[in-house]
Amino acid sequence: MSVKTLDVIRKRLEERPDELRRARENGLKVVGWVGYNVPEEIIHALGFIPVRIAIGGDDRLVEIGARYASSKTCVFIREIVGAFAENQDPYIQQTDILAFDATCLQNYRAAEVIEYFFKKDVVVLAVPRNFHLDEAKEYFAHEANEFTRLLEERAGAPLDSARLAESVALYNDIRKTLKSIYTFQASKDNVISWEEVYDLIQAGDLLDKREYLSLLTQTLDELKERQHHPVIASDDGDCRIFLSGSLIPRGDRKLIGIIRSVGGRIVGDDLWSGILPHLDLDIKEISPAGVALGYLNRTPHAALPYLDLESDRRLKKLQERLSEFKAQGVIYHTLRYCDPFTFKAKETKNVLAKSGIPLLEIHTEYAGSDYEAMKTRVEAFVEMIKIKSEIAEEQGVLVDA
Amino acid sequence: MSINGNYFAGVDVGSLAAKSVILKDGEIFATGLVPSGVNSVESGLNALNLALESAGLKQEDLTYIVGTGYGRVSAPYANKAVTEITCHAKGANYLHPTVRTIIDMGGQDCKAIRIDQDGAVVDFAMNDKCAAGTGRFLEVMAGVFKVELKDLGAIALSATDTVPMSSTCTVFAESETISLVARGEKPENILNGIHHSIANRIAGLFSRVGIESDVFFSGGVAKNSGMKSAIEQALKVTIVKPEIDPQLIGALGAAVIARNFSKKEGLWAA
Ligand SMILES: Nc1ncnc2c1ncn2[C@@H]1O[C@H](COP(=O)(O)OP(=O)(O)OP(=O)(O)O)[C@@H](O)[C@H]1O
Ligand code: SF4
Ligand SMILES: [Mg+2]
Repeated sequence: MSVKTLDVIRKRLEERPDELRRARENGLKVVGWVGYNVPEEIIHALGFIPVRIAIGGDDRLVEIGARYASSKTCVFIREIVGAFAENQDPYIQQTDILAFDATCLQNYRAAEVIEYFFKKDVVVLAVPRNFHLDEAKEYFAHEANEFTRLLEERAGAPLDSARLAESVALYNDIRKTLKSIYTFQASKDNVISWEEVYDLIQAGDLLDKREYLSLLTQTLDELKERQHHPVIASDDGDCRIFLSGSLIPRGDRKLIGIIRSVGGRIVGDDLWSGILPHLDLDIKEISPAGVALGYLNRTPHAALPYLDLESDRRLKKLQERLSEFKAQGVIYHTLRYCDPFTFKAKETKNVLAKSGIPLLEIHTEYAGSDYEAMKTRVEAFVEMIKIKSEIAEEQGVLVDA
Repeated sequence: MSINGNYFAGVDVGSLAAKSVILKDGEIFATGLVPSGVNSVESGLNALNLALESAGLKQEDLTYIVGTGYGRVSAPYANKAVTEITCHAKGANYLHPTVRTIIDMGGQDCKAIRIDQDGAVVDFAMNDKCAAGTGRFLEVMAGVFKVELKDLGAIALSATDTVPMSSTCTVFAESETISLVARGEKPENILNGIHHSIANRIAGLFSRVGIESDVFFSGGVAKNSGMKSAIEQALKVTIVKPEIDPQLIGALGAAVIARNFSKKEGLWAA
């Protein structure tokens, strides 16, 4: 039996583009944001409607995007550029202003290309490379103020501190509720799947934030009613997969579908299109700089370099989450020309190998032509994990009598 | 002839060839090998029937059938589908229990597989959707030089020099080869270069999974002596001499898994 609130959310998503259109007719402005460290609360507190532009999975748009962005640009950004060129996406159609950040330089490049070719009103937030240095934090605070100033100009009013506090409180509630819901998907006898939670997280990129919080609360109530004490543990024959690597935005369900189709069960992720951006966000001060620093202090995005493996908080976080969700293997998704994640595949694999967690890298793009080859790899990986746990249980069918 | 639950079959429908192995009492009893056609159900059945005929058996005599290879998804005759990676691992382990590393070179894929003492896969890597460095590529080269595929390796081994091949794409390599011929390079030296360039790509695949002895070479290309020697040089290893046709290893592994499944049906069912 499915979770009823999810049906409501699906319906609300269908209605959302029209709703945005009407809101704009009434004088509100929509800010489409693209990136990894865009402090959404600031956009929200200024009275804009924030919408995350993250779409993927459409090879045709990638081709169109390649007419404007170099063919060495990651497929995600090429698709975004293609989508702006085509201007058919209902959310892109409804954006008045665009906010990008420069966490990943490809994202920054997209801002330039979109501004130049499609004459969009674009605001960019600069992000320091050496994010852990004090000077970098100072710089970022300064950039966040500048980013806010540019948005204030467009809002025609200054940022109100009380409203920012309200937005931060609202977003904190959303993050907290999402985290509680997330536990349910990984539990034994789960009534909600990871895939459903993933779609639910992405619904939040688009829906009105207050309504979204109330829908999340409803979802959580429903889950609690049906499953009193979710315990994160394996069901019989589970093959518990953790998904990591380049983002998997709405529209791209190729890998996720393959994992399920070969008998894998996704029980967790650290994707920037998934739960990761909602974790560890601690806003200590209600100000543009305070919010922005809260964002930067999360587990850093892969485009921000850690030069020393030992101090790499990403790997530490990943390992913590693998054990929390009792994952048996990691599928590490890398998009073509997404260097931030592709370059880290090997070292992540080596680090995890030490704790006996296998990692499969799936390097792909949005064309469907590699479907079978991907399926063979994922299926073999799932078989490998299942056989390993069977052998561990000393009842392995592959052990000759 | 006893037909009481003693026969198990593996059918490996690859991109270029369909293979089958029937096991009886743990021994290889019959085998079949046919080229893959457009219809993978038919190709698999043809390979299976070939083995059944040579054994004097009917399909009903088989207790359990495992399908593998690209055609595993459309194998209505099989009780279960298992990937070729798992099957090659099991097949090599069955013949040579000391094997820990497998190179499978088939028609369109090249796989690097690491296994443990039980024949369970520990890690693997596959070339990315490109025919360069696979059987299909070598077939194209045999066509360019108008020689039999089975003689390709021996010709490469007779080389006195190695002409380096820079192209890694089938299409470009073909035209590069033609221009090397026009430049007066000897065919055997060019072929030698091609084999070494493929072997180096395979070494790249192993940089992801590592190598441990013993090393086994499976798939149809394993019958190419030039390729075997080039890989031995590139990986600095000695490849185990196969006890049976190495092209049948996937099907053999599938048959072994079929036997294990039937003993504990449902345990490992997805
Ligand atoms: N005697 C031989 N000498 C050299 N090469 C051979 C010989 N026989 C077959 N081959 C090669 O073996 C290849 C087919 O091998 P195999 O049957 O292992 O591939 P497959 O399983 O169909 O392909 P894949 O695993 O990529 O889907 C052919 O491309 C051919 O080049
Ligand atoms: S992190 Fe990867 S997918 Fe995201 S914008 Fe950068 S290159 Fe593209
Ligand atoms: Mg094969």
